[in-house]
Amino acid sequence: MFEAFDYPFVQRALVEVLVLSVAAGTLGTWIVVRGLAFYAHGVAAAAFPGLVLADGLGFAASLGAFGVALLFALTVGRLAAREREGHDSLTALVLVAALAIGVVLASDVFESGANVETLLFGSLLSVDAADVRLAVLVAVLALLATRTLGPRWLAVGFDPGAARGLGARSSLPDLALLVLIALAAVSTLSAVGALLSTALLVVPAATVRMVTRRMLPWQLGTTVLAAATGTAGLWLSFETNAPPGATIAVIAGGLFALVALGRGAIAMYTRTRGVPA
Amino acid sequence: MSDVRPLVRAERLAVGYGAAPVLSDVSFALPPGERIGVLGPNGGGKTTLFRALLGELRPLAGTLDLAARCGTVPQTERSRLDYPVSALDVALMGAIAGRPWWKHPGRRERAAARDALARVGLAELADRSFGELSGGQRQRVLVARALVQDARIVLLDEPFTGLDAVSIRRLEDLLDELAGEGRGVLIATHDVEQARAWDRVLCLNRRQIAFGPPAETLSLDVLAATYGGSIVTLSGVAGEGERLALLPPHHHDHEH
Repeated sequence: MFEAFDYPFVQRALVEVLVLSVAAGTLGTWIVVRGLAFYAHGVAAAAFPGLVLADGLGFAASLGAFGVALLFALTVGRLAAREREGHDSLTALVLVAALAIGVVLASDVFESGANVETLLFGSLLSVDAADVRLAVLVAVLALLATRTLGPRWLAVGFDPGAARGLGARSSLPDLALLVLIALAAVSTLSAVGALLSTALLVVPAATVRMVTRRMLPWQLGTTVLAAATGTAGLWLSFETNAPPGATIAVIAGGLFALVALGRGAIAMYTRTRGVPA
Repeated sequence: MSDVRPLVRAERLAVGYGAAPVLSDVSFALPPGERIGVLGPNGGGKTTLFRALLGELRPLAGTLDLAARCGTVPQTERSRLDYPVSALDVALMGAIAGRPWWKHPGRRERAAARDALARVGLAELADRSFGELSGGQRQRVLVARALVQDARIVLLDEPFTGLDAVSIRRLEDLLDELAGEGRGVLIATHDVEQARAWDRVLCLNRRQIAFGPPAETLSLDVLAATYGGSIVTLSGVAGEGERLALLPPHHHDHEH
């Protein structure tokens, strides 16, 4: 039944998805707690024209993607981290522009080159060693940053007004978070693509958020859930010949819906019975 | 008192969000060990003044000098009740400035946070989720955060709103203790009667109306100018003596 995992390319995909789960498990929780989910989606989509450009001009895809993502992080992202009014409509605007420019570039400018579908939805089964190395780098950075900057990220998100008095108002930690999210989004591109990046980066964290009350269990739970979702999606896509990125996204979304429904049912039950949970 | 350097000194301070100030002509000083009640209607500038003190807004005119960084006890927004932190986690946030950026809170910081929670009477609830605590307990957790921070200036934004009598009493005692340790305490409040117990009052209504000891400062004229309405005197309610009641401006315009 699990002979899929006998194939070297499936094994490499499994390693990729497991390493990405570590990055998603730590960064995903910060994305959700700091209200940066839409930013995370935007930064992944913004990386798409970078991918096309890199492909057409013949330099490393992840470099092109990260260049554009970084630009996005430093402009729109900084507004989002400060919870400025209007950053979400700006994110939406840039997201649409990035997708449109990417598609135009891919179809008209670099005709022979990029396969738009692969760039948008990823190709987990054809990741190479460089993709895995990038994922490992991001996972290590995410863990280190969580350990060192985590308390500041938590304090600023809890009470932005008090941050300056607490000595946590320096914008550097927030900037580091934005750049890390951009890097993580780029590292998920090869696996699940620009449009499905949030399936790994946001959805598992949002799911586990509903059943945890502290950062550490939330982060551990998200890592485990992302790993399980990725593994299940990989296996299922191999068995059914469906695209792996989309399969992982469907499973992640389905689990989110199940947990949300379950929680709603429990809340309704306790309300009607009048007993505390 | 005049030889002690004040913790806060404002001179003809004007602050606002754009070019036009929403609060102007503010001149007051907060010496160590004093509690100042900040009175004023909604939109009168209490929160704007606090944001200037916290460094979120820069003065548009005049000067604002702080001898120390502020600790703050903000009102708890609903969205914050869901935040994944315990009371101890919140108190620990006060220890950020005291350690290098790469360091995680250590045993010493945890001990300080637990001590601060014990001081505000929440030792047993240290591991409870912040959002599960009562309103009064949440305010005291935030006071504990200011204690860990060792803030010499403590700002409290409407800290008594929605608290029961026991919680109000506990918080008032805690503020007295903070002032007793030489900290300066600024409390935004709606309750004029409560502010009478404090050292000074600062009355704001888009500009400074008055500043001084409550007994001399809180005249009918000052209250009327502060709240922009009419004041009536209610005499002899159940032996309590005279009490003031405030009528909203243009109350006669209401439809009946």
